[in-house]
Amino acid sequence: MAVEVKLPRLGQGMEAGTIVRWLKSEGEAVSKGEPLYELDTDKVTQEVEAEADGVLLKIVLPEGEADVGTTVAILGSEGEDVSELIAGAQGGNGGAPAAAADEAASEPAKSRAEEPRSGSEPQGSLAAPARRPGERVKASPLARRIARERGIDLAALTGTGPDGRIIAEDVEQGVAAPAPAAAPAAVPAGEVEIVELTSVRKTIARRLTEAWQAPVFQLTVTANAVELVATRERMVELLREGEVKPTVNDVLTRVVASALVRHRPVNATFVDGKLQRYPGANVGIAVAAPSGLIVPVIRDADRKSVQRIAADRADLVSRARDGKLQLADLEGGTFTISNLGMYGIEQFIAVLNPPQVAILAVGSIEDRPHAIDGKLEIAPTLTLTLTCDHRAIDGSEGAEFLRTVKQFVESPALAL
Amino acid sequence: MATVEEKAGSGDKRVSEGTLRDFFREMLLIRRFEEKVEERFRAGELPGFLHVAIGQEAIATGVCAALAREDVIASTHRAHGHTIAKGTHVNAVMAELYGKTEGCSGGYGGSMHLYDVEVGNLGANAVVAGGIPGIVGAALAFQLRGEKRVAVAFFGDGATNTGTFHESLNLAQLWKVPAVFVLENNGWAESTPNTQHSPLPIDELGKRAAAFGMKLIEADGQDVEAVHLATLAARDHALSGKGPVLLHLRTYRLTGHFVGDPQVYRDKDELKRERETKDPIELLRARLELSDEDFEALDAEITAEVEASVEFAKAGTDPAPEDALKHVYA
Amino acid sequence: MPELTYREAVRDALARALREDDGVFLMGEDIAEMGGSMAVTQGLLEEFGPQRIRNTPISEMAIVGSGIGAALQGMRPVVEIMYEDFLTLSMEQLVNQAAKHRTMSGGQLKVPLTVRTQGGAGWSPGAQHAQQLEAWFVHVPGLKVVFASTPEDVRGLLWSSIYDDNPVVFFEHRTLYPIKGEVPEELEPIPLGKARVHREGTDVTVVATGRLVHESLAAAEQAEADGISVEVVDPRTLLPLDEETIVESVKKTTRCVTAHEAVTRGGFGAELAAVIQHGAFDYLDAPIERVGSKFAPLPFAPVMEQHVVPHAADVLEAIKKTVARA
Repeated sequence: MAVEVKLPRLGQGMEAGTIVRWLKSEGEAVSKGEPLYELDTDKVTQEVEAEADGVLLKIVLPEGEADVGTTVAILGSEGEDVSELIAGAQGGNGGAPAAAADEAASEPAKSRAEEPRSGSEPQGSLAAPARRPGERVKASPLARRIARERGIDLAALTGTGPDGRIIAEDVEQGVAAPAPAAAPAAVPAGEVEIVELTSVRKTIARRLTEAWQAPVFQLTVTANAVELVATRERMVELLREGEVKPTVNDVLTRVVASALVRHRPVNATFVDGKLQRYPGANVGIAVAAPSGLIVPVIRDADRKSVQRIAADRADLVSRARDGKLQLADLEGGTFTISNLGMYGIEQFIAVLNPPQVAILAVGSIEDRPHAIDGKLEIAPTLTLTLTCDHRAIDGSEGAEFLRTVKQFVESPALAL
Repeated sequence: MATVEEKAGSGDKRVSEGTLRDFFREMLLIRRFEEKVEERFRAGELPGFLHVAIGQEAIATGVCAALAREDVIASTHRAHGHTIAKGTHVNAVMAELYGKTEGCSGGYGGSMHLYDVEVGNLGANAVVAGGIPGIVGAALAFQLRGEKRVAVAFFGDGATNTGTFHESLNLAQLWKVPAVFVLENNGWAESTPNTQHSPLPIDELGKRAAAFGMKLIEADGQDVEAVHLATLAARDHALSGKGPVLLHLRTYRLTGHFVGDPQVYRDKDELKRERETKDPIELLRARLELSDEDFEALDAEITAEVEASVEFAKAGTDPAPEDALKHVYA
Repeated sequence: MPELTYREAVRDALARALREDDGVFLMGEDIAEMGGSMAVTQGLLEEFGPQRIRNTPISEMAIVGSGIGAALQGMRPVVEIMYEDFLTLSMEQLVNQAAKHRTMSGGQLKVPLTVRTQGGAGWSPGAQHAQQLEAWFVHVPGLKVVFASTPEDVRGLLWSSIYDDNPVVFFEHRTLYPIKGEVPEELEPIPLGKARVHREGTDVTVVATGRLVHESLAAAEQAEADGISVEVVDPRTLLPLDEETIVESVKKTTRCVTAHEAVTRGGFGAELAAVIQHGAFDYLDAPIERVGSKFAPLPFAPVMEQHVVPHAADVLEAIKKTVARA
């Protein structure tokens, strides 16, 4: 019996994915559990395994985007007639229809039998709408969609439908006479590179735009990092054969995790108008992967040794760079650390990673003068900037957290 | 079905003592099962709406033992006994009451919708008289295909006042289909006594057969031997091509309409009297002259069997919620 | 291609199924010697005999109920309820039994029963012989509901209904029995759940069932003369519904009218409107208009009946509303 290979839902909220490449070709035998194709979702690229044994009879969607549940291939036994299944898959919700829908969407609404109209002057954006200020704009769903897609302000249009409703044709007319636009910017000479957004990039764009809308505030402290650096060096000295060398950031991850479980308002997510505060800290670390920014999560960081955190981090980072992360690696974070210190950035502001309510931006360690016991001394110094979602966290809560982090950085033993 | 022997030369049929002992065991199993169901319901373990048939075990056992495996039944909301007697294991019945996939209806039916098509149980029905016309149709199918099978509908005295009952018996007799209509007359339509639901005296409900020209067979529903012999006769008649039979069995519901029914409508003394004199299990135990020792040994064995069914059910699999839509269409 | 009336097409599907399959038999009031109140089963008694063409007493509950019982035993009974008004008398068996056996048994049983019935106004029968109750049954999970409007459709759909393993309530329209239409030489089963686009158009989609398919086609002709291009879609199967064809059509035309003879309120058009607003929300350029009977039991006097029941003119008016301007 032939079976349809359907695009799986690999995590909550996943609606679609993009097939990057097939790892098996048509006619090839496949065993259950063998990687079948590479799928780029909005979070990661991962290999999808075959759910049954059989011969890959037909690849319905060689590459491209498709919705969850779309039939992308047919598995069966050699020589089996699957023409019906294929026809069903191609006629159904296959990869192509997504494109077809786009086409339909971009197709301008049909011109209709022109009805005589009183005064057929253009309904351009300059026409004064017969609407009181603040009055609801009546427009058909289709008109609203066209306006949205083309960035037209419906309020500037006059509707010709019943009760003055703006209908599709009114929007079309409105576009026909666009307001004079600014002169097009001069295009620099040379070939312009057009880059299609990958789904990871699209997700970054969407989520960061979302995050940008949250009311945030920032708090900054500097901390004397001499103990932090020394602690890390002692750990490196004591390293056993085959163990991963911890970085300053690994130690920082550990002390921040300890601070998080002491300051739960910061160790929280904000979902559907509800705050969820967590007893344990799953700390996300921002990684620059080839496909774009990605934030794998170190679970239970408050309960792990620095050594263990280093091992987890090394594994996650190397898999992130190879595009081998699983969705599970990216889910469940309660806080994020973004460190640009290795680029020499002294201080910066990170954008929230929703639904988390706070993120810590870590700069480079610089030698700075400190007043110690009344004397001026030079010490390695770390600048930490916390971005907080003000819907969830008040200034004092953020400040208390940051004070603890500073204490722990300056005396890591307190945290470990 | 070597359940019956004849007294030498007399032509009088009776049920052999060995068979009666088997009947006794099954009746006691049904009783203990239903007592356990009441107990677990009260403990809050069983969801839904439960009706037990304590006092009516002789009918379930006596009727179903007279049927062939390929004969079919339709039961009522008071279905545990019929289901067990028709051949469904107590584990599968209990698992159904716990809403598990191992249940005889896969957790889709519950106490009022016990099905087991494999053994000829076409389902218990929660609409009074709802199962009767289907039995006419099943019998019609047997008749059209020339199969030697009967279809049997169980229902109570309350059902005899529905249009469904009258339409169905009329049609069944008109077409002489091989059906047996088992009237379990316990005298109560839920809480309404027969004096308020039937113009006929309660013991004369069988007269309704005459309206359709249908064969009537009557027996004491508390006497399992009488029930069994009457059912054998009814089955023979139905298979003979002479038409269906109304099998009128007078019985007693020794509990409330549903589990938890306070029975405010019932005279307590009368109920007590009925419990003392009409319990079919006590009647049969006396007749078999079972020693206390034998009884207790049997009871212990059956109690363990019922206990095991609870364990089985509790260890069962909860259905996946989304499987709720799995069987809407074939 | 041969031409059959709608009545002959129903009869042809029944006769072919009876010939092909011993499990098929008919039951109903007056269907044998008389050939049914609409003469649909005329001649079948002679060919198939009284065992398979069974007159019944006036017992709708028992007719449907015994059909269910036979279906549970693997037969494929086709029962006739003379007027759909009388379906009300068999409601318990249809709704509580036929529709639910499969689920209640956890998938052990199937009920391959077809309940044929007919109704419809236009001949002054008064309030109890002309109702259109199809929407009631669309609300019952476990049932399938078919309403055919042409000879070709009624034949192919009835065949599929008989061979469907689920209970199907099959609606015929009284006034359609005499209409003629071409049908394929060999019976071609029409799958349940596939709509038919009767006429393509670009401005408005009319989704119509039963008699109103024909009224809508007439209205479409008239609209064409006014420069409005109308697409007419007949779902044919109301449950399951071919949502895709309907939604795609409305996405194309951006406007929609639903039309049936049943009263508008709570009618099938309401379900269609819900499906369409959801599936084609961003494509709608006007509110969906519904055409149906006015909300009254059907009065007897012809002028009143005419007033209550919808006609092509009502469909045309609704079409024009959807393209109207202030």
